[in-house]
Amino acid sequence: MKSIKGTVLFFLITVFSYAEAGEVMTTWFGDPDLQGTWTNASLTTLERPDNYTSLLVTEEQANSAATLAADFTEAIDNPYEEGESPKAGENVGGYNTAWMDPGTQLFQINGEYRSSILTYPEDGKLPRKWITWGIEAPSIYRMFTRANHPEQRSLGERCLVGFGSSGGPPMLNVLYNNNYQIVQSPGYVMILVEMVHDARIIRLEGSPLPDHIKPWLGDSIGHWEGNTLVVKTKNHHLQQRFRGAIRHQILITENAEVTEKFTRTSADEILYEFSVNDDVAYKDVWRGEMPLRRAEGNIYEYACHEGNYSMANILAGAREEERRNQ
Amino acid sequence: MKIIIRIIFCLSFGALTLQANAHHAFTAEFDPKAPINITGKVVKVEWINPHAWVHVEVEDEKGKIIWMVEGGTPNTLIRNGITRETLVPGTVIIVRGYQSKGRLCLPRCIANGRDVTFPDGSKVFMGSSGTGAPRDGADPRDSKRK
Repeated sequence: MKSIKGTVLFFLITVFSYAEAGEVMTTWFGDPDLQGTWTNASLTTLERPDNYTSLLVTEEQANSAATLAADFTEAIDNPYEEGESPKAGENVGGYNTAWMDPGTQLFQINGEYRSSILTYPEDGKLPRKWITWGIEAPSIYRMFTRANHPEQRSLGERCLVGFGSSGGPPMLNVLYNNNYQIVQSPGYVMILVEMVHDARIIRLEGSPLPDHIKPWLGDSIGHWEGNTLVVKTKNHHLQQRFRGAIRHQILITENAEVTEKFTRTSADEILYEFSVNDDVAYKDVWRGEMPLRRAEGNIYEYACHEGNYSMANILAGAREEERRNQ
Repeated sequence: MKIIIRIIFCLSFGALTLQANAHHAFTAEFDPKAPINITGKVVKVEWINPHAWVHVEVEDEKGKIIWMVEGGTPNTLIRNGITRETLVPGTVIIVRGYQSKGRLCLPRCIANGRDVTFPDGSKVFMGSSGTGAPRDGADPRDSKRK
């Protein structure tokens, strides 16, 4: 009960501070306050879908996108007639919506709906160097076709990092668990990523780690420019080169520089901007922005390893397939 | 050349997409050729990541057997209003989904819960772990990609 009261008090103080003073709230040690639980769940994806021709979309288009998404999820929630059984080899269907938290609308910035997170290139498409992506393809293929031991499987299946670029940087939305908790202390900003329990510790005005130390989420160093937290990340982990999800597929090579900016724009929102400079995988820099909105509730411990029955099932399934094929 | 590389990558990623949909791909763990339709009593619910698991006791002519049915991530389920009170032990549910590729049932059978309902037809809401081959369904553009 005490924690609930504390949370309510914190929330009220935060809202009151913005409402009354119109100024950015600060922490007890004087840094702009980004703390809280935030979400980037949205129908807006990194790259612009082909049915949009511009970054900004009308309210009518946004409403249409929301309606289409709702209709589609309703359809996949009800795949069978009463008494009907699944059939062997048929389309196994997709997620039930109760399992997902993909957002229900395109996000808005300054009151305008966006068709993509990407703001540059202006066409809303990643400027990929396809030769690099082609070279990467065989290792990606092996990642999900081999199952001799756990280390051959993807980092997500192994509960090491979340799939896609959920943890970032850049932090991008996926189909669920799009939640982050920011905690600050003097000299540090920590971003806890709900999936798969990753905590990125940003050292303010810190020195880079030695080149041989490559954290799963890269080496992040930050500084304040006015009320904006600017974070530069290098030393990306080799196994985090490819980050694939339905909603985005990106390559971040080891020496890429990812710059992020976090600006608290209201009690309930942070503007998250980023740029990626990776001349190995891309022909040009790419930039994006999206809001982080205050999330309801807490982030609970993910504890992925402890409950990862799926890994054993995957390996057992592979052995059974081998047995059948002998 | 560029087109060829692009095709190679897309073919590779096409399969990975299945992987990336969830914590793991449907086809990595479950067998789309082994559909199930079981009715039984909930005996335990494990609220664990990366997937919740519902243990269902099913009785047939051979006796009783426990099916472990895979569900979604607890954090998301909770946010969507599904709590420990939603599925209490003793509740009878109907599970339609697919069995694990191992099909061993040693000591328990394993399945995904594509569609889980109470006997009156109302939804319990589980989900496939990934899409098997098709898309996840959440993205409105999926219908155009099929």
